[in-house]
Amino acid sequence: MTHLTGTELEPAPTPDLQGEPRRRRPALWPGWSVATRFPLLDVGLVLAAVIVIAGILAPWITPYPEDAGAAVHPESVLQAPSSAHWFGTDIVGRDIYTRVVFGARVSLGIVVVVLIVSALVGLTIGLAAGFFGGWVDAVLMRITDVFLAFPAMLLAVALAAVLSPSAFHAALAIAFTWWPWYARLARGQAATIRRQGYSDAARVLGAGPVRQLVRHVLPNASTAVFVQMSLDAAGIILTAATLSYLGLGAQDPTPEWGLMVAQGQSLATTAWWMITFPGLAILVTAVAFNFVGDGLQSALDPKRGQR
Amino acid sequence: MSELLKVRDLRLSFGDTEVVHGVDLDLPEGPFGLGVIGESGSGKTTIARALLRLHPVASGSVAFEGRDVLSMAGAALSAYRRDVQLVFQDGDGALDPRMSVRTAVAEPFAIHRTVPRGQRAARVADLLREVGLPDDVATRYPHQLSGGQRQRVVIARALALEPKLLVLDEPTSALDVTVQERVLQLIESLREKRSLAYVLISHNLAVVDRLCESSIVLYRGVVMERGQTNDLLTTPVHPYTQALRAAVPELGVVRPPLTRIATSTSVPESGCPYADRCALAVDVCRHEVPALRPLHGRDVACHQADEAADLTA
Repeated sequence: MTHLTGTELEPAPTPDLQGEPRRRRPALWPGWSVATRFPLLDVGLVLAAVIVIAGILAPWITPYPEDAGAAVHPESVLQAPSSAHWFGTDIVGRDIYTRVVFGARVSLGIVVVVLIVSALVGLTIGLAAGFFGGWVDAVLMRITDVFLAFPAMLLAVALAAVLSPSAFHAALAIAFTWWPWYARLARGQAATIRRQGYSDAARVLGAGPVRQLVRHVLPNASTAVFVQMSLDAAGIILTAATLSYLGLGAQDPTPEWGLMVAQGQSLATTAWWMITFPGLAILVTAVAFNFVGDGLQSALDPKRGQR
Repeated sequence: MSELLKVRDLRLSFGDTEVVHGVDLDLPEGPFGLGVIGESGSGKTTIARALLRLHPVASGSVAFEGRDVLSMAGAALSAYRRDVQLVFQDGDGALDPRMSVRTAVAEPFAIHRTVPRGQRAARVADLLREVGLPDDVATRYPHQLSGGQRQRVVIARALALEPKLLVLDEPTSALDVTVQERVLQLIESLREKRSLAYVLISHNLAVVDRLCESSIVLYRGVVMERGQTNDLLTTPVHPYTQALRAAVPELGVVRPPLTRIATSTSVPESGCPYADRCALAVDVCRHEVPALRPLHGRDVACHQADEAADLTA
């Protein structure tokens, strides 16, 4: 006979009975149960929020906002990190901490442009292909396949090289290689949703194709698309940094992280801070968005008991 | 008695495979129920989908109030969709998970613009009350409802446009017995209140018996027997109808099976589709397709109908 400990005497939690109508319990913050179950998502969201807020507040939280531009300070060239310059200074004497914080604006701006352009183009093409099927599907998806046939980085480099180098053109070049993935994703979603009972129901009620697409297909496809967007943010930041590093993206004096790494590369042995801090910024941002994407995917997965 | 729905020689296919081989349906104006009885795979649901123009019709004709349904397009089809509605087998799948009950039930109003925007919420509340749902259901989402509640929402949505004809595809088969009973009572009360005509598709003889004046018995997409539901179920003539009747479980009664277990799943090349399962089958059944012929006040497609009738006489 073993002694029962206090915890064993506690009543077992009541199982959530299937089929019972579930009522929403009023909660201070309804996302709380999600937040506690997906710690990686929380870490990612906090980091991403810090980066976004830092980018927005950059002029007020940096000591030398003018260094984000074409300033030159011959008196303070290549200084190591100190209390005056937390991340050191670069080859023309600009404060690297200031430039890294302002760099968040550039990187996040590129992410937003790429995601909006590629999601708009990809969703339009993919939803139409999946929803209408038949020859519409065949034509649209063959076009998509042509874009997918080229290695994405090669295509982006080629296009960025044709356009004059700037952060915005780099974003367009990336979007140009990125939308086919959204088209494929949206097509799969639309083709599945079209076969659901509620799509038949909408047709029986007399809903036309536009209404079916906007009111039923798009909302039900959106979860998968949002998860994909958050997963892609990290990849876009890395791709943009790569293009800038190759000289095909943002140009000096734009405080772009990839460009800053490229500028510091030749001085890596003497001025390690020039490549370290922008590099860390890329790493932390990419990891943060990866956590958000992975976390959202698990949190929104119906098999994990959400929704 | 004027004709509401008249279907002649309806043939339906999946690709090259014909699954419904020439079915006739006749439905007068309501209140009236027509039962379509058959086991899984007999083509019942495909017929329902074809009546709603969700499945292409290979050949045959469908007339609603004398107008050809199959050639309808544009405004005529839209009007048809106002008059004829479908209640799905699975209330869960038939509701968009992203739409609240209020939005879902109001969608017919939004599509056909029959009710101005400001009055839709009130009309939805009326409809929900009519199908016996509490008011607070309106703001919930399908996953927050029970199976019976979802089926009521589907019925409420189907009633929103005040259809003249309802096609009910196994409306209770996904529900447990007590909930089934309440949905059946709901259909009974709506039938009288709204003088509804409906086609009820079911494998459940008790449900058809309760709600339908006349019925057809379908086997592998062919009509075996048709007539008054009461005649069909009390004195079934076709051996298949007899087998279905005998298969209904009764408390405390053990009955020997009337039919042999199917030895093959393939449809016979010629002859009666039921011949390979029929205890009364003779040579002619395997070579010649039996035509529907009148017998004992109903139509039966069976060479051995007279012998079969003696079994239940």
